[in-house]
Amino acid sequence: MVERESAADIEADAARWVVRVDRDGDDPAVRAGLESWWAGDRRRVGAYARAEAAWLHLDRAQVFAVEAPDQPAGTSGTRRSVMAAFGVLAAGVAVALVAPRLLFRRYGTALGEIRHLPMADGSMAAINTDSALEVAMRPRLRAVRLDRGEAWFEVAKDAERPFVVESGPVRVRAVGTAFSVRRREAGSDVLVTEGVVEVWTKGGKTPPRRVSAGQRVFADNTLGILTPPKAEVDLNRQLAWRDGQIVLDGQTLVEAAAEFNRYNKRKIEIADVRLADARFVGWFRTSDPEGFAQAAATTFKGSVSISDDAIVLRGG
Amino acid sequence: MSEGRARVVAWLGREILPHEGDLRAWLRRSFAVAGDVDDIIQETYCRLASLTHVDHVDQPRSYLFQAARNVALEQIRRARVVRIETVSEMDSLNLMHDAPSAERVISGRRELERVRSLIAVLPERCRRIFEMRKIEGVSQREIARRLGVTEHVVENESVRGLRAILAAMTEQDRPSGAKGPKEKTDGRTRKRR
Repeated sequence: MVERESAADIEADAARWVVRVDRDGDDPAVRAGLESWWAGDRRRVGAYARAEAAWLHLDRAQVFAVEAPDQPAGTSGTRRSVMAAFGVLAAGVAVALVAPRLLFRRYGTALGEIRHLPMADGSMAAINTDSALEVAMRPRLRAVRLDRGEAWFEVAKDAERPFVVESGPVRVRAVGTAFSVRRREAGSDVLVTEGVVEVWTKGGKTPPRRVSAGQRVFADNTLGILTPPKAEVDLNRQLAWRDGQIVLDGQTLVEAAAEFNRYNKRKIEIADVRLADARFVGWFRTSDPEGFAQAAATTFKGSVSISDDAIVLRGG
Repeated sequence: MSEGRARVVAWLGREILPHEGDLRAWLRRSFAVAGDVDDIIQETYCRLASLTHVDHVDQPRSYLFQAARNVALEQIRRARVVRIETVSEMDSLNLMHDAPSAERVISGRRELERVRSLIAVLPERCRRIFEMRKIEGVSQREIARRLGVTEHVVENESVRGLRAILAAMTEQDRPSGAKGPKEKTDGRTRKRR
C-alpha cells in the first residue's frame, strides 16, 4: 500500500475527474470527492489542471465551427463595419436625446490616480487607477457604464431609480447599497460592502444572482455567473485603494507586484521564480512600488535594481 | 471555478500545453529517467495551476521550462543520489528553450483547426461525443439520451477521448513530424554549451 502511485494512473484518474466535473460540477459531493482526491498527492492537482486545460481548450472548436462557414476575408469585415455604422448611429441618437439635458458625464483617471466623485443624486464613487466611466442620471434610472478599470459606489437610496452599473455585458443593480466593480478582460468582479446587489450578464446563461455585504462574485462576459458568491473576510484590505493604499496580508510577491503595477509606469518584475510564491505582509502607498520592492528584498534576502521603467526583484 | 482559476486554466491550455512536448524531450535529455519526467510534469502543472493570475508571464514557454527545471532540481536534491553532471548540466541549462521552434508560432486560426483535427481523428463514437459536447455544446446527459447509451458510456468515451487528445496535444505519441522521433534524442548533444 505504501507504493507510490504511478504518474500514468494519476493521469487517467485526472481525465475521469475532469469529465465528471463537466457533467456534475455543481454537485457538492462531486466537488468534495475531487478535493479529497487532490489532497492525496500534489501531482494529482497538477494532472487535473493539465487535463482540465486540454478539455476547456477544446471549447475553442466551437468558435471555429461558428466562424468557419463564411470564408471570404471581406464578409466579416463588412458585417463589422455595418454594425459599427449602426453603433455610431445609435450613439448619435442617444446623444441627441440626452445631451441637451446634461445627463451624461464622463470621468476618467490616469495611471496612479484615484478620484473621489460626489454624484448628482447624492451617491459617491471612488474611481481607481486607469479607469474610465460614464454616468447617466435618467428620471427612472441611474446608469453608470464602466469602460475600463475599477470603481466603488456608495449608492444613495432611491427606490424609484435603481442604480445600474454596466461593465461590458455584466450588470450590477442596486437600490441603496455600496459595492465595487472591476472590469477585467473576461468579465467583472463585484464586491459588495453594504446591502445587497443583483448581478447578471446580459445574454448570459445564468439567472441574476443576489450578492450581499461581505461577498464577492465574478461574472463572466459570456457565461454569466458560474460560481456562487463567495464570502470575503478582508474587504477593507481589498478596497484600501480608495485611500491610496495597498495592504498585503500574505499575498504572494507576484500578486503584490501585479497590484502595484496597476498604479505605476515603472513596473515591478519578480525575476526569480523562487521568489514568486513567497508571501508578504505590509502596508504601502500605491505610489511607492520602490518601497515595497526594498522591503521584500530585505525580507527575502534578495536585491532590487531600479531603472526608468522597471523595478527588478531578484533572489539572493 | 473562480475567475482567477478559469483564466489560469485557459492560459495553460493556450500557452503551456503546446510546449509540453518540447519540455518532455528536454527533460528526458537532461534528466534521463522517463518515469521521473511524468512526475516532474505533473508537479510543474501543480505549481502553474496554483498561480492566481498569469498576466505577469511574458514568455510562457520560458516560464514553463524554468518551473520544470526547479521541480527537477528539487527532486534530484531530495533523491540525494546526485549525479553531479546531471545537476551541473541542469544548472547550466540556459535558455535553449527560449526560442520556440517555428511550428509553435502559429496563428489563432491554425490553432483552432488543430483543435478541430484532434477531435476529427478520434474513433467514431468517441468523435461523435466530442463533437456534440465541444462543438454543439450538448450536455453529457443529453448526449447519452440522443445516442441511446448510458451516461456511463458517455463518461468512459469522454475520458478515453480526452486522454488521446491530451497525448496528441503534447505530442507524446506523434510518431514523426517536424521534430523527428524524440526517443532518439538521448545521448545527442549532451553538452550544449
